[in-house]
Amino acid sequence: MPGPASKRRIPVSQPGMADPHQLFDDTSSAQSRAYGTPQGPSGLGYPTASASPQAAFLSDPVSNMAMAYGSSLAAQGKELVDKNIDRFIPVTKLKYYFAVDTLYVGKKLGLLFFPYLHQDWEVQYQQDMPVAPRFDVNAPDLYIPAMAFITYILVAGLALGTQDRFSPDLLGLQASSALAWLTLEVLAILFSLYLVTVNTDLTTIDLVAFLGYKYVGMIGGVLMGLLFGKIGYYLVLGWCCISIFVFMIRTLRLKILAEAAAEGVPVRGARNQLRMYLTMAVAAAQPLLMYWLTFHLVR
Amino acid sequence: MAFTLYSLLQAALLCVNAIAVLHEERFLKNIGWGTDQGIGGFGEEPGIKSQLMNLIRSVRTVMRGKKKN
Repeated sequence: MPGPASKRRIPVSQPGMADPHQLFDDTSSAQSRAYGTPQGPSGLGYPTASASPQAAFLSDPVSNMAMAYGSSLAAQGKELVDKNIDRFIPVTKLKYYFAVDTLYVGKKLGLLFFPYLHQDWEVQYQQDMPVAPRFDVNAPDLYIPAMAFITYILVAGLALGTQDRFSPDLLGLQASSALAWLTLEVLAILFSLYLVTVNTDLTTIDLVAFLGYKYVGMIGGVLMGLLFGKIGYYLVLGWCCISIFVFMIRTLRLKILAEAAAEGVPVRGARNQLRMYLTMAVAAAQPLLMYWLTFHLVR
Repeated sequence: MAFTLYSLLQAALLCVNAIAVLHEERFLKNIGWGTDQGIGGFGEEPGIKSQLMNLIRSVRTVMRGKKKN
């Protein structure tokens, strides 16, 4: 309709003049009125913006009002999210797992590749709370598993690329597949821990951390396979499999078989035997999964 | 391959459904896994079988909703 449109255009060409047929009040002139609703400023902001330069738009008291209102809305929303985020993602608990430094990462990677000489696998406690990973190389962390997972996806893409089998959706498929296996492992272990009624302080996040350490070995194997072919792949993967096996057994023994195995004494009794079988099964699943998730990448 | 998160979700749903449709009278009692047949004494370590029976009963109770058996 040309009528209202032409009426709306009039304030643009003649700022400050009040047209009696206007649809809304024109406050682009110097007189300022405090509007509480944002609809007024936003509707009036356009004529003033096109008529006057940017500086005048920002210094306009009505649009100042609009900016103040918008920023207070944003602050309220942020407060709401901060209050409720702890319900869905335990942020404070997660911070413990990312409290790492370079020295810890270096020592832990060394431990993952060569766990045979390490003597003391017990996590130190400080006032009933486990010490942060920064201070104890035995503490589980989520930094290495997260980084290793992402690196594994990228290395898988690289491996597929060198064999001319790459396409972008394959990356997503690899990631989804690895995540699905991880979730299945976590669920299976939690289920078997429930069945065997083990009272451990092994939380789910701890378990995810321990199960994520195998990605480090997988990356090593695939990279060696890319450089030296199948022989290199099998050698390095075999070494990493055995290392992860020993690492998992020594770590989980302290968590699952807490009372008896801390001294290193072989245990008897049906319950402890079941727990030992569970530990062995979890540790044995790691090399199998490491092979399953990487063999198709090396040809 | 092609083992995605979605297929895991599907499998989990089917497993939960399978546990939920086990009939109490016609099946569980006949193999001795009924809810009133497994409660051991207190203070006794619950074995794997009683844990499984507990789990089946809990899943069936949760999945039952408002429908009367």
